[in-house]
Amino acid sequence: MITIQKLAKSFDARPVVGDLSFEAPDGTITGLLGANGAGKTTTLRMICGVLQPDRGSIAVDDAASGDALDRQRRIGALLDHMGIYSRLTVRENLAYFGRLRGMSAELLAERIEAVVSILGLEAIADRKTHGFSQGERMKTALGRALLHSPQNLLLDEPTNGLDIPTIRSLRELLRRLRDSGTCIVYSSHVLDEVRALCDQVVIIAGGRIVAEGSPQELCSQAETASLEEAFIELTGATRSN
Amino acid sequence: MNPALTIARKEIVDGLRDVRSVMASLFYALMGPAVVGLVSMATRSNAKPESEAAVLTGMMAIFTLVSAFVGGMNVAMDTVAGERERRSLLPLLLNPVSRRNVVLGKWLAVSFFALAGLVVDVLGFAVVFTAASTHVSAGPGRLVPAALGLLSLPFLAASVQLLVSTVSRGVKEAQTYLSLIVFLPMAIGMFLVFSPAAKRVWCNFLPLVGQQLQLEALMTGRGTSLFEPIALGCLTVGLAIVILLVAANRLQRDEIIYGN
Repeated sequence: MITIQKLAKSFDARPVVGDLSFEAPDGTITGLLGANGAGKTTTLRMICGVLQPDRGSIAVDDAASGDALDRQRRIGALLDHMGIYSRLTVRENLAYFGRLRGMSAELLAERIEAVVSILGLEAIADRKTHGFSQGERMKTALGRALLHSPQNLLLDEPTNGLDIPTIRSLRELLRRLRDSGTCIVYSSHVLDEVRALCDQVVIIAGGRIVAEGSPQELCSQAETASLEEAFIELTGATRSN
Repeated sequence: MNPALTIARKEIVDGLRDVRSVMASLFYALMGPAVVGLVSMATRSNAKPESEAAVLTGMMAIFTLVSAFVGGMNVAMDTVAGERERRSLLPLLLNPVSRRNVVLGKWLAVSFFALAGLVVDVLGFAVVFTAASTHVSAGPGRLVPAALGLLSLPFLAASVQLLVSTVSRGVKEAQTYLSLIVFLPMAIGMFLVFSPAAKRVWCNFLPLVGQQLQLEALMTGRGTSLFEPIALGCLTVGLAIVILLVAANRLQRDEIIYGN
């Protein structure tokens, strides 16, 4: 479970996130929606411990800890930067990050096989990642996030570049993880995907929460038929022709 | 395994697989012995033995100092500035590893390549001085203490290069600065060759300057006391650690994530 309270962050005196509070419970997929520059990525980066908030608190698994390393032990994340090492194979990439997380050799070998199988990476697992397609890179980066079976999973646009069968199997995987009690925070611009997958949605605009609830609740709140219309209505975004 | 060692091991494997960079570093390291070999052939017939030895030793000292800086340059460039550019630094920082351990691991890897550059350079000089029958004594009795006296230098070079890589926004920027830094040992070396009066006692304890003076002294058979190389080694490593801490502090900043 992830609980953030009054989280704030500014860059060069320009507020990017202001007094943001929400809770992402275990066994739930929480969608994070917002236009470009709304503060979603900054929020995810603060939760992951790569950026220090100016104010506010972040509690992961009920442990309200200012210690970023402690949070990082409890979180697996796939953020917008998903570079992988091109001179290492998929397995070597995964092994490197597993070792950094202190996983034992046996557990690491077991988890690498599991992740390779889940993401359908068998055919390329022993290839150096140089020249990989966007989808193959995304799958490798996703494997890195899932490797240590995190209780909390943060995903930023995880279906970018994935083919349709992989998107479907990813959705199924996320549902299985949710059903087994994992807390998932899912940021995406694809509203259909958010509607199909997320149990609750937090809409952010200008670094603040403008609405939260289930997709159906948001539609009712905005008195619209679709989540897209509700998003535009609630954020006050301009409609394009 | 300690996270810093895990990072160092990965960086070394990654660096060794970059065959073009390894070859470039090898050429750099062997450039000094090649040039000095050519100069020794050109001066053999018309130079006095003492002046030939002085010129060749002076040149060797400069090239050897430079080799400590070029051996790890490509890896230093790639390991922070390159990672930022390829967007793999953020995924690394998502792991429960302190920034100090990240910097320490990368520093160990850069030091490994810098040290390798130095060793190749010294071995190259040993071959050249022996094969070219110069008047410079290149037996193990001189080269081994000379190399030992230089041991701390690759660690300092790695620290400086890592700091530069950390403050740079991309590989090109890092390459520009790091190429300029290679001129530092060259400039100091040339200054000391052409201005022997600048060699004061305290110069023996200045990192970079001290190593050059010690190397020249050892290679010309003057020798130094044991105290000087040990004190210089400690001062050099101390300076390397201070610079490393600055780099680790730099890695804590938000710009590291947003700087691209």
